[in-house]
Amino acid sequence: METVLLLLLLLPLGGFVINALWGRFLPRRAVAGVACAAVLGALVCAATALILAADRAHDFTFFQWFGAGEFATAMNVHYDPLAAIMALMVTFVASIIHLYSAAFMRDDPDYVRFFCYLNLFVFAMLVITTADSLVFVYLGWEGVGFCSYALIGFWYQDEANANAGRKAFICTRVGDIAFGVALGLFFARFGNFSITYINSHAAGLSPTLATLLALLLLGAALGKSAQLPLTVWLPDAMAGPTPVSALIHAATMVTAGTYLLMRLFPLILLSPPAMLIIAGVGSITALYAAFAALAQWDIKKMLAYSTISQVGYMFLAVGAGDIVGGLFHLVSHAFFKSLLFLAAGIVIQALAEEHNIFRMGSLRRLLPGAYWLFLAGAISLSAFPMLGGFFSKDRILLATFIHPGGAYLIFWLLGLAAAFLTPLYTFRVFFVAFPERPDGRRAAEIHVTPRFMAWILWPLAVCALGDGLLNLPGGFGKDFLGYYLASVPGARPELGAAAATEWAMGLLSAATVLASMTLAYFLYRRRPAREPALTGFWGLLFSGFYLDRLYGRIFVQPYQTAARFLWRRIDDPYDRGLVRGARAIFRPYRAMAAFFWVKIDEVFLDDGVVWAAGGLETLSRRLGRWTSGRLSTYLKMLLLGLTILFGALALTWHLR
Amino acid sequence: MNSLVPYSHTLVLAGGLFFLGAACTAARRSLVMILIGVEVMLNAAGLALVAASLRWQQLDGQALVIFIMCVAAAEVAVGLALIVHCQRRTGSLDADRYRLLKD
Repeated sequence: METVLLLLLLLPLGGFVINALWGRFLPRRAVAGVACAAVLGALVCAATALILAADRAHDFTFFQWFGAGEFATAMNVHYDPLAAIMALMVTFVASIIHLYSAAFMRDDPDYVRFFCYLNLFVFAMLVITTADSLVFVYLGWEGVGFCSYALIGFWYQDEANANAGRKAFICTRVGDIAFGVALGLFFARFGNFSITYINSHAAGLSPTLATLLALLLLGAALGKSAQLPLTVWLPDAMAGPTPVSALIHAATMVTAGTYLLMRLFPLILLSPPAMLIIAGVGSITALYAAFAALAQWDIKKMLAYSTISQVGYMFLAVGAGDIVGGLFHLVSHAFFKSLLFLAAGIVIQALAEEHNIFRMGSLRRLLPGAYWLFLAGAISLSAFPMLGGFFSKDRILLATFIHPGGAYLIFWLLGLAAAFLTPLYTFRVFFVAFPERPDGRRAAEIHVTPRFMAWILWPLAVCALGDGLLNLPGGFGKDFLGYYLASVPGARPELGAAAATEWAMGLLSAATVLASMTLAYFLYRRRPAREPALTGFWGLLFSGFYLDRLYGRIFVQPYQTAARFLWRRIDDPYDRGLVRGARAIFRPYRAMAAFFWVKIDEVFLDDGVVWAAGGLETLSRRLGRWTSGRLSTYLKMLLLGLTILFGALALTWHLR
Repeated sequence: MNSLVPYSHTLVLAGGLFFLGAACTAARRSLVMILIGVEVMLNAAGLALVAASLRWQQLDGQALVIFIMCVAAAEVAVGLALIVHCQRRTGSLDADRYRLLKD
């Protein structure tokens, strides 16, 4: 079991390492093969672990990571049913997306880098999913943030893409500050970072501290999951390749925030005010994003706002105390949202990077695969009765409705309004882009995309349409997911609502959806599609209620002004003064160096050596004259030598 | 015999003669003159020997001088033969002409 979990984490990491080191030398098929095999292997491990775990929790410590004094943390894993479901969903969706990307990115020169980051991302996400120590979670948290930055700005040669990546990273970083503070508080209070420990000892917390911690965790989750007020990065993140949007910004990273709240749910349960705020944030964001999605002309931006909206539902579920509903919706959303993104990717590639729905049309005939897939996703997203997201959304609305407190009634109304808008904006896009229209696309404009890209998505479509079966409110297989998650602390398998309320809620949801779809039909199918002017009310919706502009005015502009001021007035003159000062200091040094160079080095050493050599040369020349070959010279020398010899002998004769 | 010549005087004479012979050998260019210088040096040595035999009243010195004279005669004969040979070879008696020892 431990090996299976270890492999689960190490396979994607191994895929990353192999592709990073040797991907350059491998053919493209091998690179994609390694990456896909890694994730498929992780999928097998996730499935195996789920079967082996048999809905008990398992805790493993892989190794002690680091410690300083009392502060110590390990790389450990808490694998309970919550983690099991999440890991299975992540690996399943990631596998399909990896396979899809192998075809989607086929013409991209940076093929290897893409798959490296995708694998690394899956590793980091699985760390968040399974980790027990919150510091280990933070590692995965930052890892997904980095991979998100790298993948959003994947085509970094275009500055807009790089800016989008930076924006995403900075916004999520704001949330990470809250996470950091929470980590500090956790250590101060519990001396421990383990989720299991915190959950079991949470009961002793004072309400204030519990609220503070819960709100800090909410802050962290807000950043990652792009909820108000940190929603602004997700629409811009659509600058990245479509598979990235599908994986990171539909199925996994944006759900990481919700997942963290679910993991530490017993702590959050202790603080009703925090839960109220969480539910409020979720429902308000859901409605806000639904409004914004209604005005988008870019298909991916519509899906981005839709993601924000649906993640809002997940937050609403947590705030209403129903993590089973939240997880259920998380899984449903992962299926249908990634399906929608990937189908949109087929359309975008077929039309040569066309994102504007008003320049599409007649795609039903031209791209039938994408048509049916998108339709399946759209139906599921709209929560069409009995299919797809209906049961999950219905459960969340029910949980909110039956939660005590007047505020929750308001949240329920907001959620219901968002539920009305969801089919509206979804089918708006559907009816504008796909059905036959006179000003639509022609066959000659379609670029051929690999058929593989379409039929790999069908398993996802089946899951998207049929995942209501996971947790039916009644009948066969009732509350299957709920009971599976029963051992997770804080989970309620059944909501315990009266049957009448349940039926009423279901009928109301169904009616809302059908009404909305009918309205969409009349508004968009029957009338010719015109791109609306982005002024007034429509402009307000399009820009997400001018939130970006607000942040620009509050944060960005003052920062830029201050930076410019510091640069021109302070930094530049300082630099110039610094250079002058440096020159003054260096002058004596240079004089000394010149002295050493000329006086000592050149004159003394160099010339001295030359002089000595000259002297030797002269000596040798003079000596050379003795070998003149002249007889008289030799005779002279002979006599001289003999004289010296005998003279010495005579003088020292007395010593003999 | 008080009118004996003092030993030092004869030694000085012999020394001076020897020096003159050496100068002749060293400073002259003609091969014959070099030989003459050698001859003078030999005779100077003989004179010193005779003076020494007188001084110590032994005949060994004088016997040696007779040896020297024989040797000198033989040596001069050989030397002159060599000079004649060289002169026939190179056509000159100039010592400076013989430079085959120079490298």
